Amino acid sequence: MPGKLPLNGCDYLMLGFDHEMRRHGYAGNSCQIELELDAAIAPEFLRQRIALLVNRHPILRARPGGWLMPKWKLPGEDATMPQVRIHREQPGLREKLCDEPLDMKRGELFRFDLVEPVGGRMNVIFTWAHTLMDANSAEHFVALIGREDVPLPAVTPPVSARPQKTFREKFQLARKSVQQLDEFIKNKPRTVGVRFPAAPKIQRFRVERFSPEETARVRANGVKLCGAFGGAQFHAAAAMIELHQLHQRVGKPSASYVLPVPVSLRAKGSVEPLFCNQVTMMMTQLLPAQLDTTANAVAALKPQIAQAMRDGLIEAGVAIADLSRSLPLIPYMFMLKLGLRGEICSFFYGDVAAVTPLLTTFCGANVREFTHVGATTPSPGIGAIFYSFRGELRITVFHLETHFTTAEAESFAKGLRARLLNP
Amino acid sequence: MIEASEIETKLLDFLKREVFAPEVVVTPETDLLASGFDSMSLVRVLLFLEQSYGFWIPEGEITGDALQNVRSLATTAARVLNAR
Repeated sequence: MPGKLPLNGCDYLMLGFDHEMRRHGYAGNSCQIELELDAAIAPEFLRQRIALLVNRHPILRARPGGWLMPKWKLPGEDATMPQVRIHREQPGLREKLCDEPLDMKRGELFRFDLVEPVGGRMNVIFTWAHTLMDANSAEHFVALIGREDVPLPAVTPPVSARPQKTFREKFQLARKSVQQLDEFIKNKPRTVGVRFPAAPKIQRFRVERFSPEETARVRANGVKLCGAFGGAQFHAAAAMIELHQLHQRVGKPSASYVLPVPVSLRAKGSVEPLFCNQVTMMMTQLLPAQLDTTANAVAALKPQIAQAMRDGLIEAGVAIADLSRSLPLIPYMFMLKLGLRGEICSFFYGDVAAVTPLLTTFCGANVREFTHVGATTPSPGIGAIFYSFRGELRITVFHLETHFTTAEAESFAKGLRARLLNP
Repeated sequence: MIEASEIETKLLDFLKREVFAPEVVVTPETDLLASGFDSMSLVRVLLFLEQSYGFWIPEGEITGDALQNVRSLATTAARVLNAR
């Protein structure tokens, strides 16, 4: 049944990032989950599972539409169904899939690529539009597709259960957020910009895997510096030190670095609402003088997070995103570009903690390995996502080749690994 | 002297209202970590305690044992608040 559904504020921001990335020639704001299975699966079974969910939730083949005020446009029966493609393993295939944009205008909001390597095993690469869902939702969605025993999500519009605020309340909250950014701008944060304009417009990634012993050591270091529950702050602090050192190595140290810390808005113990982003950003700023030791970086980060929560900046972030929906797309894109030109975000950081335990099997096969791949905009051109699979820490570092060389990103990743093990 | 039971009651109410989904049953014995409690939830709890008792409990005081359940968290909070 054709119709329309609203995008929430965060979805709208993610769509804005997608536009910005595509405008610069990159694949867009799509992320990936890769499952390494111990056996091949039947594509037909996968297609049936997808069809079941798509028929139940038409938003899964919606397209962002509406020139002035974007909405999800629900298609009629002739809409493109999400794809399941099969490939033979070959050199460069993984990179090719990573750089292939989703055709969102035709309703392609996600895609499954099945890669058959030698030995009868199979890798499943799930590419998803960040406008449709966030990383936690994406994990749960893959589990829904791959397991018949997972209860299906409610058939309700994907809206937040958070209390609605009046326009005046939102405006007052948004002012707080703007004031904070004004303070950050005084310290002149700058990312490296495009250093290699002739480089291909592609994103590359590498995964740092930690053994159970190494994971335990990183956790112990986090507890020592941040308390029993400060692992994410420890990860973020270490990443920002390595970012500063990377900037120094490429000859472009910044006067400050702005780190957006993602905050999940979902009530704990729930995966719903599933088909919308339920994340806001809490902005923090670190100065080079605070990035000499991990302990100093943690000491600078922790009070900022506490103060931001004290000042209601989580709600302010939500309010800004909500208000952005009231702006027509073109002025909004102009504002977004102004923000990006100001190099507000120095690094894309995600910490999704433990991968859902539901993803130990997929379509009957055992999941041997799991990888998250994030997406980064042309500014800052680098990011990392932290997660743990079967209790082992993983970090995916992704970068744009126009901003950093593969060797530079590798040096960042290795430095981060070493710092987490020996802060 | 702040009683741990008083903090426990307030914490239970706060967690049910502000942190956990309505379908999650929260009791004094609920395993917080298994129920989805995370680092941001802890900061929210510390902020709630600060607003209620005027004191920010340092994160270093919150050990793994303290985070076992609501009761152990309330006991730790009472100990720190009474010792300040």
